[in-house]
Amino acid sequence: MTVPHPNPEALERFVLGQLSPAEMREIARHLLTGCPGCQEVTAGLWEPEDVFEDPQTLTLPAEEEYDEVLDRVFENVVATEARVEHQRALGRKLYDELMQCPAERRQLLLTNSRRFRNRMLCERLVEESYEAGFEDPRLAIEVAHLAVLAADRLEAGDCDGEEILTGLRAKAWAHLGNAYRINSDLASSEQAYAVTESLLSESRIPLIERARVLSLLASGRKAQQRFAEALQIFDRAAAIYKKLGQWNLLGRTFLQKALVCDEAGDDEEEMKFLRRALDLIDPQSDPRIFLAARHNLIHALYERGRVREAFALLYNTRPLYLKAGDRMNLLRLRWLEGLVAFGLQRIDQAEAALREVREAFVDLGLGYDAALASLDLASVYILQGRTADVRRVAEETLTIFQSHNTHREALAALLVFSSAARLDRAGIDLVREVSSFLKRARNNPELRFSAVS
Amino acid sequence: MSALDHPQVESSLEGFLKKVRPRLKTLFAHYRIPPQDTEDILQQALLALIYHREGVRDPEAWLLGTLRNKCLLYWREQRRRLYDAVDAAVLEFMAEPLEPAQESADLQRDLINALERLPERCRSLLSLRYRQGYDPPELAQRLGYSPASISKITTRCLAALTRNLLALGKKKGGA
Repeated sequence: MTVPHPNPEALERFVLGQLSPAEMREIARHLLTGCPGCQEVTAGLWEPEDVFEDPQTLTLPAEEEYDEVLDRVFENVVATEARVEHQRALGRKLYDELMQCPAERRQLLLTNSRRFRNRMLCERLVEESYEAGFEDPRLAIEVAHLAVLAADRLEAGDCDGEEILTGLRAKAWAHLGNAYRINSDLASSEQAYAVTESLLSESRIPLIERARVLSLLASGRKAQQRFAEALQIFDRAAAIYKKLGQWNLLGRTFLQKALVCDEAGDDEEEMKFLRRALDLIDPQSDPRIFLAARHNLIHALYERGRVREAFALLYNTRPLYLKAGDRMNLLRLRWLEGLVAFGLQRIDQAEAALREVREAFVDLGLGYDAALASLDLASVYILQGRTADVRRVAEETLTIFQSHNTHREALAALLVFSSAARLDRAGIDLVREVSSFLKRARNNPELRFSAVS
Repeated sequence: MSALDHPQVESSLEGFLKKVRPRLKTLFAHYRIPPQDTEDILQQALLALIYHREGVRDPEAWLLGTLRNKCLLYWREQRRRLYDAVDAAVLEFMAEPLEPAQESADLQRDLINALERLPERCRSLLSLRYRQGYDPPELAQRLGYSPASISKITTRCLAALTRNLLALGKKKGGA
């Protein structure tokens, strides 16, 4: 069969998919004959990806060819900047207005009011849910629910395209999963993460959003004790941050990996990742994350019996806690001070700090943390032989825990401790065992308690 | 890299754009993006940067990383379009009766020749698709693939066929 040779320009447009279906078909038919002349032309037009690594092998377009496009885009983007600022301010205003309404009216406004269909409001809700996770974990769930609702109401036109809209939806769902995780509601968390994962796998979303969503998903896997999977997902996020040159976010990812290693019992890797994280996180621009990394390092040192090192680092880090100033961080500082004082045998200081922490957690309705702080306090009493105080703390802990939690195995562990305390047989080893079990079981309701001590 | 090495953020957008301009041109040229297709890619990336400005510590690295990724996606999209076009063209040839008979025989021979140069897995799959008219679920069942993965495998085989038609690899391999 003789089919006329397409000209080089037609071949180029074929390769770029710029011809009509009929023209595409005609050239495809010609190429099917294996025409060496035309293949010579097309081979130079369509390069595999790896050739991009070696630009010397290609004839590159002249850079001046891009000047006109760049001028046009830059002009447009500069004009858009003011509009984006205005939208951002509007998002803040709408958020304030929304949160001043009673809870039941917020959902109605987001569902029915056209004014509240706003991308920047949704972004704001996502951020505020994340922030609330540090101060008020229950509020974090509520705000994340609003973010999901806001994201579902948005359309591609509100967000400069489908890709950004999907990214925002994935981010809102991931934060909802995260909020549930912080509140130890792993079943609801998993449901939210499942929606996030389907959005990630079905659609293309901006890289930076993908990395953030992956990090939240990995935290979910950690909470479920699926450590290998969590580390793999964090690696995917880390690869994106490296690609985008976002070293602070890479540092944050190392911090999260350290947490996984801690829970998985890999002390060496935990310390390694904490130090790498501290090297990358900027304390000026990311003070809270830097503080979290320091806090974890101090705790890791204390846990490994390196109490003097922990004390020295805590002394240096104290101003950062005070500067952060939020209630949860101040409580964490006080708790750590109590533990380190206990490690240094400064019993009075330890008791005062741990009692304070325990009462604050009770006030906040965080029964699980209150139970953990109570066990640390019980250790102080045991060391002093104050059996009546041990009994009292054990009973109070049980009551507090029962009123806030339904974790059966954790309750069983606390019952064992309480029974032993009643018989004046609760020793340090049993307290450590129960405390360690509570930490591990927090996110794993399937774990079973059996006392060895 | 230490935290102290974090680059300073350019205060004005205009200043930032002026600074990155030469690198943007080099990047687009490096990835061989046709100038007329550059506009959407760059516009999207810069808009995303404006929206995320508060959270982006090193805007230049962020922008270049994002653009590199978008350039690769651009070519992936172009390729997919071409694979689809080649696929549609071959399916159409095979579906319509050709006259004279010689023309039909030529087409069959050319197709067999093209398929012969592909790996065994793709040869079987595309033969069943083009010569027997199997649709994807039937292909999955016949070749023992899961229905979920047949689309990906078919795309890979179409990629192999297209590359073969365009003689890609010939240049690199020196054949």
